[in-house]
Amino acid sequence: MGTMTALGAGPDATWNHVDGGAAEAPRLLIDIADLWRVYHLGTVTVEALRGVSLQVHEGEFVAIVGPSGSGKSTLMNIIGCLDRPSAGTYVLAGTPVAGLDDDSLARLRSRAIGFVFQSYNLLARTSAIDNVATPLLYQGLGRNERLERARLSLEALGLGERLEHLPSELSGGQQQRVAIARALVTDPSIILADEPTGNLDSASGIEVMARFHALHREGRTIVLITHDHEVAAQAPRQIHVRDGQIA
Amino acid sequence: MNVLELVRLALSRLGSSRVRALLTMLGIIIGVGSVVALVAVGQGATAGISKNLESLGTNLLTVNAGAASTGFTRGASGSATTLTVDDATTLDALSGVAALAPELSTNQLVVSGAKNETASIVGTNEDYAQVRNYTVGQGSFLNGISVDRGLRVAIIGSETATTLGLDASNIGDAIKIGGIPFQLMGILQPKGTSGAASNDDVVIIPITTVQHYFNDTDSVRSIAISVATAEQMDVVKAEAAALLRVRHGIASGGTDDFSIADQAQLLQSVDSISSLLTILLAGIASISLVVGGIGIMNIMLVSVRERTREIGIRKAIGARGRDILAQFLVEALTLSVIGGAIGVVLGIGVSIAVGQVAGWGFTFQPMTVIIAVGFSLAVGVVFGVWPARQAARLDPIEALRYE
Repeated sequence: MGTMTALGAGPDATWNHVDGGAAEAPRLLIDIADLWRVYHLGTVTVEALRGVSLQVHEGEFVAIVGPSGSGKSTLMNIIGCLDRPSAGTYVLAGTPVAGLDDDSLARLRSRAIGFVFQSYNLLARTSAIDNVATPLLYQGLGRNERLERARLSLEALGLGERLEHLPSELSGGQQQRVAIARALVTDPSIILADEPTGNLDSASGIEVMARFHALHREGRTIVLITHDHEVAAQAPRQIHVRDGQIA
Repeated sequence: MNVLELVRLALSRLGSSRVRALLTMLGIIIGVGSVVALVAVGQGATAGISKNLESLGTNLLTVNAGAASTGFTRGASGSATTLTVDDATTLDALSGVAALAPELSTNQLVVSGAKNETASIVGTNEDYAQVRNYTVGQGSFLNGISVDRGLRVAIIGSETATTLGLDASNIGDAIKIGGIPFQLMGILQPKGTSGAASNDDVVIIPITTVQHYFNDTDSVRSIAISVATAEQMDVVKAEAAALLRVRHGIASGGTDDFSIADQAQLLQSVDSISSLLTILLAGIASISLVVGGIGIMNIMLVSVRERTREIGIRKAIGARGRDILAQFLVEALTLSVIGGAIGVVLGIGVSIAVGQVAGWGFTFQPMTVIIAVGFSLAVGVVFGVWPARQAARLDPIEALRYE
């Protein structure tokens, strides 16, 4: 699928690390060293992550797999800059995350991360194209450019006929594709997918996974979080998390 | 994110729940509407009353016969016979008196053709029109000759003219007053009412004529004095009182057998009372603005809770706390400003309607509108900030997990 290059992801795109310098060694995008995340719930202390170290390079397709309560969601939140580590270091695309304030984290999310959630998390009562255009709103882009890029992104995912549909008017598979279009529209360094097939029937699930494979072939970096070993097995590299540690 | 984007977002959000938005705005609509309407009505009433009082004559002093109070009972104005034509002549000589007109009234049957009415006949001089602020519509007013010679000429008010079926074509015709033929010299322009009495139902004839035909007396009911400038009012009033005391032989400390009413004083007190009333009404109305603001805050808080997940999504895809704050604040502001605008329109509508009914018309007060809209903006900010801050502070992970 050569369509992704039509998303304005040409060599001049500011955040495009995918197409640049093919001759060089793959860039280190995620560099996590001895990461701890500890929650204090009243008198109880929960160690959700206990000294995790992990590296992901540009262009990799990685599945983080583990049962519920293993700490994989906590790991995903930290990779996605929604949460901060209690101890240890995390460097995302060259930026150390640990010391950042909320605004800087938000900017990093806006530029570097594209989220795909299990429950799609589209804005209700908002058309598909406006949903996809919203991340660009927070990058300060003008309305026309936002809508144009959102349209291209939706078309790339085969939703060119569904631009003005509300999420409630779309099937689960279509909604998840809108969510993927939204994740891609900012041309992020990493696609972070949290159980993207969890709410889908098997046919839609297969289609969504096919999209991820296609994105991987285009050179996108994908981190997939799942408890489903079958889904995880589709990724070239799997990282197993158990009891807050990498097994 | 610029303000325009935020307003667009807020409008589309409010557009998707119109009934709720309208109900939320209702408090602001009523608040702003009542502030605008009540202030306009208050100002209209003040202006109306002031205009009526001014129509009685500017810088007017009225000397009435009879004591302000005699023992325990106050004599009816004009019932005493203590003021004389000579008093009037003496007062006329005071400096600061621009014009002076004695008034001697009598009730007589006025007949014109087949029509008649019992009218209040005012005997006075040629300065009466100036002192009492009358303008002659058709014909002419009394002159020195007619007053000196006691001619049987009459000038009638516009209402009297209508009652008797007289108009400009009847100038010079004969009408009968108390059975005696008079020549109609002029018809006055309408002046409006002041209180219960109409200023336009009046028949004016020379004072000498009243004395000769109807009331053979030297006493007058009252003396109206027009003072040259407003600054001289107090001086002229004091001098007139002193002069009359000397003429009437009243020792200092004794009870006056006359009273002097001051038009400016009356006007001033009416003004201060009605502006006080306007402030009071506006104050009461602004309470409803505060209540309206609380309504907006309530809905915004509910909205923040309902939209927790939306806030989480927006944060995950790159919104900063301040973006969320701005979004919710602009939404509250949009509600209050639209509500304020509707309120202004309704308030102006009500003031126009009231002005029409009450007859004082409507004067557009841009200041009221600016204040009302400013107030509703302030309400939006004050009552919108807290919910917006709540929204902005939500933890994205918690918010995304919220069902």
